[in-house]
Amino acid sequence: MQEQISKAETGGAPSPAGALVHDDTTARWFIVSSVAYFFIVGIIAVLIAAKFVWPDLMGTIPWLTYGRLRPLHVNGMLFGWLLAADMGLTYYIIPRLCGVKLWSEKLGLATAVLWNFIILGAVVSLLTGWNQGWEYAELPMFLDVLVVVAWIMFGANIFMTISQRKYEAMYVSIWYIMGTIVWTAFVYLTGNFATLFATGTNQANLNWMYVHNAVGLIFTPVGLAIAYYMIPRSSNTPLYSHKLSMVGFWSLAFVYVWTGAHHMIHGPISQWLQTIAIAFSVMLLIPVWAAVYNFFATMKGQWHQLRESVPLKFLMSGVVFYLLTCFQGPMHSLRTVSAIVSKTDWIPGHAHMAVLGTFSFFAIAGIYFAVPRLWGKALHSEALANWSYWMMMIGGLGFFVTLWLGGFWQGWQWNNWSIPFIDTVVALKPIWVVRFFSGVLIFVGIVMFAYNVLATALGAKEEPAV
Amino acid sequence: MLKKADNNALWAVIASLVLFLIGGLLTTVVPPLVDTSWSKPFENTDPAKGPTGKLVKLNAQQLQGRAIYIREGCWYCHTQQVRTLLADTKRYGWRGVDAPISTPDEFVNDSPHMFGTKRTGPDLARVGGKYDEQWHRTHFRNPRDLVKGSVMPPYPWIVNNPVEFQALVAYLQTLGRAKDWRPANDYEK
Repeated sequence: MQEQISKAETGGAPSPAGALVHDDTTARWFIVSSVAYFFIVGIIAVLIAAKFVWPDLMGTIPWLTYGRLRPLHVNGMLFGWLLAADMGLTYYIIPRLCGVKLWSEKLGLATAVLWNFIILGAVVSLLTGWNQGWEYAELPMFLDVLVVVAWIMFGANIFMTISQRKYEAMYVSIWYIMGTIVWTAFVYLTGNFATLFATGTNQANLNWMYVHNAVGLIFTPVGLAIAYYMIPRSSNTPLYSHKLSMVGFWSLAFVYVWTGAHHMIHGPISQWLQTIAIAFSVMLLIPVWAAVYNFFATMKGQWHQLRESVPLKFLMSGVVFYLLTCFQGPMHSLRTVSAIVSKTDWIPGHAHMAVLGTFSFFAIAGIYFAVPRLWGKALHSEALANWSYWMMMIGGLGFFVTLWLGGFWQGWQWNNWSIPFIDTVVALKPIWVVRFFSGVLIFVGIVMFAYNVLATALGAKEEPAV
Repeated sequence: MLKKADNNALWAVIASLVLFLIGGLLTTVVPPLVDTSWSKPFENTDPAKGPTGKLVKLNAQQLQGRAIYIREGCWYCHTQQVRTLLADTKRYGWRGVDAPISTPDEFVNDSPHMFGTKRTGPDLARVGGKYDEQWHRTHFRNPRDLVKGSVMPPYPWIVNNPVEFQALVAYLQTLGRAKDWRPANDYEK
């Protein structure tokens, strides 16, 4: 399989005569805009973390209050940064794995323009308080429709490229990306359109199916596609097992979608549905451990490479965070654990480890890997890239660990009803101070990353390719 | 069988979609058909079966208040569900009376639902009737004037707009009231 990847990869390096040269305009546009949103939305992230420490901060301006900025943070990071980065890397990976050019760069460029329009529309509508009131599905209806259009344009381009591929056997990353495209279509329609025809508990059930699978069947499969491509490529080592990657993929396809109701454990929803959600949440360990074992086994004997390679540092840290976050998930779907951690600050700690620690780390690794090849020159600064890793790693750990500790503590306090609620708020203030400073470190890492990518792209330093 | 998906893209797509749709349909379409309490509004006249009462639709003012609750993102920090946990029924009770557990039939008129996921502030499922209008006015102007140590943002633009303020309070006073759970009928207005 590795041989196939190597054959397919020509990159921006001077290629031998007759070799396939990729255009990559679409990949470049998506990656540059996603990095810009990572930076802009990062400012909002730090601001809302600061509001926990200083609740009056900018508190009298309606569009700068917590309730308006939080959905902008969530949607901006999910759709402006992460999904756009994942799409950009898909436009990079798929033509290389298929050994053909992208089906249509024009269509791809139009998709990039439309995507940017959607994100800017989201900024304006969310700040004015135009919010549909569903988590992850806050965007007004006209933007939802545009997301569907953009997704069809993206899907058509990728599927047409795959259908014209030169290699018959498809590498595991291709299945994951195809899975992402078809599952996302259904998951997104459920969360943004089917919910219109339901109310109350029924609607909440659809909403949680969407929220959970936005992570489980959108960011997970496309993130794993990137990891399955980037880990062997960055370490120049063949993937450990094709068969194991199949186990991971097909169990993911079957198991993930059942788990939405675990967001309402002990809540006003049927007990039998909670039990089903718990059972399938525990089964999630199968696809997760299959993928993680495969990645670790691939790296066997190659761990020394992490010292020199920033993409590998991000990738393998992401794999460890993936193992941890997907151990937490099944565990706190259990009724006893949920009774303590549900609704506490533990949950944002868990969610950030998934979206930042795992899937953003995979995307950052992919971008550090792809940028020199896309622009045909060396990365602006390897040292700065290394610093960006350590900032995000230390900031991220500070963020995750303090919120777990704080959340667990908060949950115990809540379960003792002789403690007034406000005392449990005051108790968490030191936790929120640490979270704010950890957030600042993460943001410094984002600035270093964004500057490095943009400086390379805009040609601050003209050098031959790696 | 899944080996075939290695070489055949169409086959891979169909197989992954079928596997997905089994769980997808069984957990979204089927549950409301099986469990009809999800769509039947709460009504109980028999005190032996728990709190009596009837779920009524919100009036225009209360709906406006609900829209403000959504616009300002109150639901990011306040849940609306008393869970099947002793701690929830005790903590969200009032003056010695435990809060009844939230049931799906109390929420059939809610769209968008406001169950929430995070309790940065306390649960509001049974807040209706606990505090009077004057309390809410002071609290929305600056929560820290009433609750020392609170991290809730101030909302002066709501307090300074009598129409919006009264609508929001009118909505809050409806929360949890389908079940008439105060034996002394001591609800604040």
